[in-house]
Amino acid sequence: MASSTETHIKGKMQHFSSHNDPLDRPPLDFAATESFLQQSMTMILEDAVKKATDVRQKVCEWHSPEELKELLDLELRDSGEPEARILERCRDAIRYSVKTTHPHFFNQLYAGLEPYSLVASFITDALKPSLYTYEMSPVFTLMENAVLRKLIQIVGWEEGGDGLFNAGGSMSNMYAMNLARYRNFPEIKELGNSAAPRLAVFTSQECHYSISKAAALMGIGTKNVFVVPSDKKGKMIPSALEEQIESLKSEGGVPFMVNATAGTTVLGAFDPIDEIADVCEKYKLWLHVDACWGGAVLMSNKHKLLMKGIHRVDSVAWNPHKMLMACLQCSAFLVRDKTRLLQRCHSARASYLFQQDKFYDVSYDTGDKSVQCSRKPDAFKFWLMWKALGTSELEQRVDRALAMARYLADEITKREGFRLLMEPEYANVCFWYIPPSLRDLPDGPVLQEKLHNVAPVVKERMMKKGSMMVGYQPHRGQANFFRMVVISPQVSRQDMDFVLDEIHSLGKDL
Amino acid sequence: MEPTAGDLTDPLINHADGQLFLHEAFKIIVEEVLCKGTDVKEKVCEWREPEELARLLDLELREKGEPQENLLQRVRDVAKYSIKTSHPRFFNQQFAGVDYHSLAGRFLSEALNTNLFTYEVAPVFVLMEAEVLRGLRALVGWTEGDGLFCPGGSTSNMYAMNLARYRLYPEVKSQGLWSLPQLTVFTSPESHYSVKKGAAFMGFGMDNVILVKGAVPFLVSCTSGTTVQGAFDPLDRIANVCDKHKLWLHVDAAWGGSVLFSKKHSHLMKGVHRANSVAWNPHKMLVAGLQCSVLLLKDTTDLLKKCHCANATYLFQQDKFYDVNLDIGDKTVQCSRKVDCLKLWLMWKAVGSAGLEQRVDKAFLHARYVVDQMKKRDGFQLLRDVSSHLNQPEFVNVCFWFIPPSLRGKEKNPDYQNRLAKVAPVIKERMMKQGTMMVGYQPLGDRVNFFRITILSPLVSHKDMDFFLDEIERLGNDL
Repeated sequence: MASSTETHIKGKMQHFSSHNDPLDRPPLDFAATESFLQQSMTMILEDAVKKATDVRQKVCEWHSPEELKELLDLELRDSGEPEARILERCRDAIRYSVKTTHPHFFNQLYAGLEPYSLVASFITDALKPSLYTYEMSPVFTLMENAVLRKLIQIVGWEEGGDGLFNAGGSMSNMYAMNLARYRNFPEIKELGNSAAPRLAVFTSQECHYSISKAAALMGIGTKNVFVVPSDKKGKMIPSALEEQIESLKSEGGVPFMVNATAGTTVLGAFDPIDEIADVCEKYKLWLHVDACWGGAVLMSNKHKLLMKGIHRVDSVAWNPHKMLMACLQCSAFLVRDKTRLLQRCHSARASYLFQQDKFYDVSYDTGDKSVQCSRKPDAFKFWLMWKALGTSELEQRVDRALAMARYLADEITKREGFRLLMEPEYANVCFWYIPPSLRDLPDGPVLQEKLHNVAPVVKERMMKKGSMMVGYQPHRGQANFFRMVVISPQVSRQDMDFVLDEIHSLGKDL
Repeated sequence: MEPTAGDLTDPLINHADGQLFLHEAFKIIVEEVLCKGTDVKEKVCEWREPEELARLLDLELREKGEPQENLLQRVRDVAKYSIKTSHPRFFNQQFAGVDYHSLAGRFLSEALNTNLFTYEVAPVFVLMEAEVLRGLRALVGWTEGDGLFCPGGSTSNMYAMNLARYRLYPEVKSQGLWSLPQLTVFTSPESHYSVKKGAAFMGFGMDNVILVKGAVPFLVSCTSGTTVQGAFDPLDRIANVCDKHKLWLHVDAAWGGSVLFSKKHSHLMKGVHRANSVAWNPHKMLVAGLQCSVLLLKDTTDLLKKCHCANATYLFQQDKFYDVNLDIGDKTVQCSRKVDCLKLWLMWKAVGSAGLEQRVDKAFLHARYVVDQMKKRDGFQLLRDVSSHLNQPEFVNVCFWFIPPSLRGKEKNPDYQNRLAKVAPVIKERMMKQGTMMVGYQPLGDRVNFFRITILSPLVSHKDMDFFLDEIERLGNDL
């Protein structure tokens, strides 16, 4: 254990006596703060893990911002506070936070608790490594490689590939755009966009907004992101894509990339990758698949057909922190390239980090592949849980989530007052709740307008009650509808029934 | 086989198992990473070659899972072969040490798994982030402003460039750079490489970071605390130039920003209140733990949001039942965003600004002590550049060569520089293989490999400084 008790510092860590030479004072030692850490962990395990996943507890404890500010006493002051007070503050932070691991949290494209991933997060936080060089992060460098290799194998690139883990799927999508741009016009790296003609990206109308943000950030311009219409199921129409490409070329524009989405944000739709790949091959365009949400189907023998053709694409973004439940952030970017494109595109070769005269093989220093400097070892969160569960368990979870979505869709169809937007292809179940007072109205603008006001009120009520959280949104001119997202293996049929019962209970008087 | 409805009746997982694993794994983390990892009697690192380490870790991902005992052993192995960045003899990067309050904040952030895009999902942390940013802006000298936490200082620097560009040419968001004049960024040769990476990424081109004839300057990125030498650009004078030419002044204070907590040393950033934006990484000198990086802005016109927003209707509905200005997610280029403010907030609450000030001041004292000791010993030669007339480093980076006895007095030899360049890499290899400490080295311009020690951890004492000097001598005397 750590140094002797004579050097034990009581209480606060900032208590340095000022009359001695400060350098003679004992430094902090672990014994002094071990009790604080133990207590905080006990509380975390009890309140943030155990209770948070307990269906008998609330999903959220709603307070208005003004109330909450007062409750939290956020102000940062000159003097410190005793540890007991700090522990109380931790307790408050837990209490007033939304329990995203609760069985009735369905609000976003992630949910549930994965304890093996959480342990990996804790280890990472305790070690606080930075993933730019092998000397700094030997273990995590190798782990990231191993996970990427496995994901690449699953995607089906036999010749292998490259990649890294990013601070989010938005960043992965940006990387794809950057690599596509660089491959076509490598001089842009030094000279800027002006060294190239006006470039254009094609994406579906259902795509994630990060494509647009990427174009803005990278100086391409959101106007040069061309939106291809989707069909009724939310899938990109390949013939429309081809038409738009032809049209742009005839005006002198230069298409360089197509972004297809595997699992769109709202509808959970899968663009037809094989057909889109045909178009991209014909016009020699980089094909990126944003599979941040839908990539998990590749773990399932039953459902991977949704991403048929994935082995033909140039890059894939896949977020294990979504359906597979690794802790935030866990976002993989994969590229089908063996020419060190990532490295060449991003490198700045800083000599204070990437010395070439190190005593080990410096190709293990992956930091220059990234646009970031310090980078967290997010792949580890996925590696440890994969080791714990095995591929077959991950597959089972995906299959179950989709079966659960199927069940929910069936129930919605059977129940009066619920109307499905479309048959779910994945884990998004979109539907309207039509309160009794509106059920006799014919389909039309009057019903749409009244219906539009239902979901926001039901949402407000569910949050103030704390019974569950389900998202709603308008979409393509339609009235607000709910989007149920089914992910976690902790939910079961009763929870699906509960959601429908609760929505009815909260909204029947509207 | 089609799963029947019956298969969906019960939860698939057992919470009790998971909770037990968490409990057991935490014990290992405490023992191996926090206790041993901060103990000078233990090694800083356990070096293995990549192939050997890959074998030891058994990295392969398989069909079947493993029992908990195996997994707990894996936790132990990860701890064993990872670098102990909190060890008192870890001086390799611009972060070190550990603060247990911020650590508790980090564990808590992970357990809650909150996504910081809307108030509905992250009520506590939306408010907390705002308060922390307010506190940091106050130290810069701004009573109002904007900002957010980014996944690293490189991103903060990129945001500053993006905002400056957008302010000058708002049409760039939709139209891109194609029809704009060539834009250039000014920065110093000592600036962090993220300025160049950012410029490439954002379509300016790396070559346009420095002056180009006929181009339109739009941003000056200066550095408070350069990476290698810890130098502070003269902000007041640079601000004069920026005011005159109406350029956006960004201060990359990722490393040096923390001096603002110190009454004694904040003068190093005199004039910072005149900047438009400041990047500051509390995960460096304040020991908040990776990641903890902020971008602070003087702007009060909602520029951040206007520049980045995409108004996604599935997330930022305008008909919510609370004030939707609290849905800050559209200010960022990210979608999912982690909670990085809790670790700083909790630590700040625990030790107060006064405690953080003491931490900063102590780091300076350590640096001075090391320099004083080096002057008393043969063989340690400081890089002179950042020293004031008192030959003290400006900050807490101490850059020096170790001249082994065999090279002393031989400066005039034609192969002196070549031989000197080989010294640091060998000493580094030896220290890592023995696991006694970690210090970085690098070349800079025409100066051959020298060591850079950065001293900031609250866990070090002067004994560790003495050890450091003794160890360099021990490892390098025979060269």
